Amino acid sequence: MDSKLRILIVDDERIVRESFKHWFANAGHAVGAAASADEALVRLASEVYDLLFVDIKMPGKSGLELLEQVRQEFPEASVVIITAYGSIESAVQAMKMGASDYLLKPFKPEQLNLVLEKIIQQRRLSEQYRYLKGTLEQITRFDDIIGRSAPMQKIFSLIPEVAASDASVLLIGETGTGKELVAKAIHAKSRRAHYPFVPINCGAMSESLLESELFGHQKGAFTGAQQARKGFLEVVAGGTLFLDEVGEVSSKMQVDLLRVLQDKKVMRLGSRQAVTVDFRLISATSRDLAHQIAEGAFREDFFYRINVIQIDIPPLRRRKEDIPLLVAHFLEKLGHETTRKVDRISSGALEALAAYDWPGNVRELENAVERAVVLAKSRTLGQADFAFLQASPAGRAADATLKEVEEAHIRKVLADSDGNVTRAARVLGINRVTLHKKIHRLGL
Amino acid sequence: MRLKTARKVGIRVLPMGEQTRLAAKVIAAHVEGFMRLECRVLDPMPPPDFALDPQRLQYDAGRIVEHLEAHCCDECVKVVGVLGVDLFVPVFSHVFGEARLGGGAALVSLYRLERTEEGRRSAPELALERAAKVALHELGHLFSLTHCSDPGCLMHFSGDLAGLDATRLLFCRYCRDFLPAFAARGQAVEAGLV
Ligand SMILES: [Zn+2]
Ligand SMILES: [Zn+2]
Repeated sequence: MDSKLRILIVDDERIVRESFKHWFANAGHAVGAAASADEALVRLASEVYDLLFVDIKMPGKSGLELLEQVRQEFPEASVVIITAYGSIESAVQAMKMGASDYLLKPFKPEQLNLVLEKIIQQRRLSEQYRYLKGTLEQITRFDDIIGRSAPMQKIFSLIPEVAASDASVLLIGETGTGKELVAKAIHAKSRRAHYPFVPINCGAMSESLLESELFGHQKGAFTGAQQARKGFLEVVAGGTLFLDEVGEVSSKMQVDLLRVLQDKKVMRLGSRQAVTVDFRLISATSRDLAHQIAEGAFREDFFYRINVIQIDIPPLRRRKEDIPLLVAHFLEKLGHETTRKVDRISSGALEALAAYDWPGNVRELENAVERAVVLAKSRTLGQADFAFLQASPAGRAADATLKEVEEAHIRKVLADSDGNVTRAARVLGINRVTLHKKIHRLGL
Repeated sequence: MRLKTARKVGIRVLPMGEQTRLAAKVIAAHVEGFMRLECRVLDPMPPPDFALDPQRLQYDAGRIVEHLEAHCCDECVKVVGVLGVDLFVPVFSHVFGEARLGGGAALVSLYRLERTEEGRRSAPELALERAAKVALHELGHLFSLTHCSDPGCLMHFSGDLAGLDATRLLFCRYCRDFLPAFAARGQAVEAGLV
């Protein structure tokens, strides 16, 4: 972490502000000053500060009142209280209210230096904490990518290579194929492994929520913004940002993100101060982005930015040979998580699993195994324990309507061609535009 | 018509009080040696009365710097005032020296440099070496250098004598590189003094 801070001095005496300002400038920090608590709050609303030096005695709102408000609205900023000799009680009170430290005026230059070092150390520790949390997560989740099949072996061999570069990666695969696991593996093997891995599901949020999650906001930037907040683009600091369902990002947000990728700078909503950011972007989609570009719903320039390296993750039905391995893995995992002792599976059950199409992919398989374990009557899972799995739609009942069969068939062909509409249209023997229309009408 | 020629930056050392003349000469010699800049010692003048704070019985460093910048400097002349009296800035109990980033005037106070931490008189050579260190540090600020994290470097911040004595009479490699070309290179004295 950079040991240069953004410091705000809040004191009604100009001369005190000046001498602080000069000293911090000499030390290489960025310094701002405010003559009152209210002026400080105005500055905090538009600029980012790491540390505030606040005089406890000021006309108008006192230093303690300001401290209280800063703790609530700008909790990431540290506050050091300055008080005159002989008023140590107020310093004690300030510490109880969440001040990081206090100084009794006038103090030795060395004391100010010690206070600064302590604050920098504290900020560094909280960063290390984030990093440790990130690493733990990798250790527990990384080995969840399981597979001996050729397509998975190819992905395994790609991961270290991709991790070594810092280029943007686009992961393409159906839901449940484990795109986030691959993203985490790339992060874990990259030079950014010591920094956070921040996953965001773009499909799960409204545009305005996503915007404030990514960019952060100043207090009062919009109704309900009670506190200033760092966005994930700042939080990720040095790490990897994982944008899942990137196809759901609105055109406006695509423009904003494109700018961040180009300038490596973000501005919180309601702020005019740009903050430099550093991260690697991994995006994922289950949609056909080329189709979205053709329809004008996805920006081509943004697509090229996020798609420097593309990795296709195969659906489970394309690597059914991995099913026994995956089942064994899930059984072992469940063995740790539940008290039930179910650790075997019959060959009949495995055959049933291999016959199924797994539209929800590995995640659906995991859920199926979990459900079977919960309901199982013996320690071996049999075919009957998976009776809840429906047979693949194409081979289903003779009482389906023509429309149902058509929909199921289109769905299957689309899935088999990895969502590639052109290829699917060729298989179905219709033209691409017709297929697009059908997809649209059926809501696929 | 006269051709404009770029004047080189020159440093003036101003003894503020008779007893600071020797220190002023030593400082001038160090500035010439370390920064390869022309450096002259001016005639002494007493420290300005208006800077004396009657409550603290110390001199306000900021006010003296402002005074010198208004009267003794231009863009080609930087001044180092050397004082025998104790200096303060409003938030600090005392300072060894004062200068503002990119400013025109710097100050060095011998008051605390001539004493040990316990208040006894320290050896004159040690006091002069400290004065040279503080002067070079403050001049570094005038040439826009900020504090350095290398505890052995002249630009490292030291608020007490122990810290000051722990820095060497040297700019580290990075600070040397960041000193602008006209103030940099050739640490001629370096070998003889460390
Ligand atoms: Zn300094
Ligand atoms: Zn240095």
